[in-house]
Amino acid sequence: MSPVPTNAAVAPDGPPRARRLSEEVRHGLGALLGLLLLCLVLTFLSDKFFTLDNLMNIARQSSVNSLLALGMLLTILTAGIDLSVGSVLALSIMTMGVVVVQWQWNPFVGIAVCLGVGTFLGWLNGLMLTKLRLPHPFISTLGTMNIARGLALIVTGAAPIAGFPEAVQYVGRAFAGPVPVSFLLVVAMYGLFHVVLTRTATGRYIYAIGSNREAARLAGIPVDRVLILVYTLSGLLAALAGLVLVGRVNSAYPLAGLGYELDAIAAVIIGGASFFGGVGTVWGTLIGALIIAVLRNGLNLLDVAADLQTVVIGAVIIVAVYLDVLRQRSRKGA
Amino acid sequence: MKRALSLLLALAMIGLAGCRGAPAGGDASGSPEEGAGDKPEIVVVLKTVSSQYWRFVEAGAKQAFADLGVNGTVIGPASEAQVMEQVNMLEDALSRNPDALVVAPIQPSTAIPVFERYREKGIPVILIDTDAGWPGQTTFIGTDNATAGRQGGELLASMLQPGDKVALISGALGNPATDARIKGAKAALEKAGMVVVAEQPADSDKAKAMAVMENILQTAPDVKGVFCANDDMAIGALRAIEAKGRKLPVIGTDGTLEALEAILAGSLAGTVAQRPVEMGYKGVEYALKVVKGETIPRRITVGVDLLTRDNAAEKIEFLKQITK
Repeated sequence: MSPVPTNAAVAPDGPPRARRLSEEVRHGLGALLGLLLLCLVLTFLSDKFFTLDNLMNIARQSSVNSLLALGMLLTILTAGIDLSVGSVLALSIMTMGVVVVQWQWNPFVGIAVCLGVGTFLGWLNGLMLTKLRLPHPFISTLGTMNIARGLALIVTGAAPIAGFPEAVQYVGRAFAGPVPVSFLLVVAMYGLFHVVLTRTATGRYIYAIGSNREAARLAGIPVDRVLILVYTLSGLLAALAGLVLVGRVNSAYPLAGLGYELDAIAAVIIGGASFFGGVGTVWGTLIGALIIAVLRNGLNLLDVAADLQTVVIGAVIIVAVYLDVLRQRSRKGA
Repeated sequence: MKRALSLLLALAMIGLAGCRGAPAGGDASGSPEEGAGDKPEIVVVLKTVSSQYWRFVEAGAKQAFADLGVNGTVIGPASEAQVMEQVNMLEDALSRNPDALVVAPIQPSTAIPVFERYREKGIPVILIDTDAGWPGQTTFIGTDNATAGRQGGELLASMLQPGDKVALISGALGNPATDARIKGAKAALEKAGMVVVAEQPADSDKAKAMAVMENILQTAPDVKGVFCANDDMAIGALRAIEAKGRKLPVIGTDGTLEALEAILAGSLAGTVAQRPVEMGYKGVEYALKVVKGETIPRRITVGVDLLTRDNAAEKIEFLKQITK
């Protein structure tokens, strides 16, 4: 095992660690306040909003994007991106559909196939980035995005697959008391990745690579290995999100996840992560995903037309990124 | 900074809430809040509200709200590809506890779990345009595609001589609606003595239909007429034919404004027009009957209109007026 480098050593031009952390906490708090205020406003505007049923609807509706955003956060922390998550989700669930519904194999084998396909595609993304030396993950994952979507359509000749066994539907469908299991899964995964990112060497490596890849390499961090791991995890999380989606709607269809990469990126960015890498937290991302879900749900309850909703989400993204820019500027000026 | 973000969000929400009445209750007389309590509430969820065909369905539903005294809303995702968005909208609409749901599911199988939740609450589910084949559905109101295809085939046959060669352009493989139209048209054409020399899919897409038609003109240059399972493909096929400097009768299906204008211009021979306005209207009308305790048939067919140069102008007038 290579020695654990300190953050100061790998990011000499970055701010001191303690200050960076406190800044993240403050920003995370800002996003949280934004979410709470949004909820407060919606509670006043619609008597249907602050009800147990509706809050649980939001928890369910946010699950798929939350899982995708978690993988997306990992790639963005390394100053990368994963555009393929929506398509990887689709190919994973279509393959599972063939195995479980058409071939009637054991549902747990199907779940393993689903997660396996996602993991494999993520691994390929990482490999293309590090071994083929494609200049930016935008390119490798854009390629994978098209390939996986095309294959998802080919698998069944564009036909959807319905009628999954209970075991497959469980995570997306079941409730523990009033709480959807899918949301518990989200909380568990976020907790796990919080520990990975803040308490392990791998986590520190991920931030270090995003802060300054060359310095990280010079400090002896196995950059390629960490990057491959990051994209593999993003693929795995996309497949997991697919499993949740299948459970919710009891079917797999090849256009599943179309455009979801954009919602995932939006959640990460609204949650305070920086596109320049090295800055961002899992909790910020979760709040980002919840803000998007609450916005959509609230606008639905208020009968705001879908085209206008798209405008609002777009505006929120721009404002959030503008705040990121201001933050960068004030940091550089200080 | 964060405060600025929060403030902006809040302002956006309030602003949007302010104009929420406008898209929904446009045609209804009086304020939507007033007397809403005793009026039955019906939610109409379409595949999208951002395309022409669905705007016609929406217009029909709103006409019915106004005529029949319904407190109704029409919603739908920004595009027909947003399957999960539609499922989310169905879930969100459930929390307002409507008296009935009228819905055109994008991907029927994905909507069935949320339909089950409507059934648990005792809310009738009326399907329009696209059948879900769900045992719990109250009824399905839509076009009989086999009949539409048959009438299109008969119309084309009436423009040709027995023994003439014809081509069929179908939708995406496995699309039940376009498949049924092609099957109906083929039967009618063969019955009238036509010879089907080509039957190829073009995925309901204009550009693909153009390429498909170019190939057909290569392999069967003596083809005398074409039937297409939708109007976009008919327009595409027509372009390919005109590019070759030929003139053949092409019949489409759906009745889009573009197709109707092409008929008036004399390039498209005709179309089998669906009645989206009637579909939206009947959806609400029958939902109201169910709410009032009447029993309705499990399947309700909306007719089609055969449109040629003689009557296309009237239809254009009607569609433009209803969406005004």
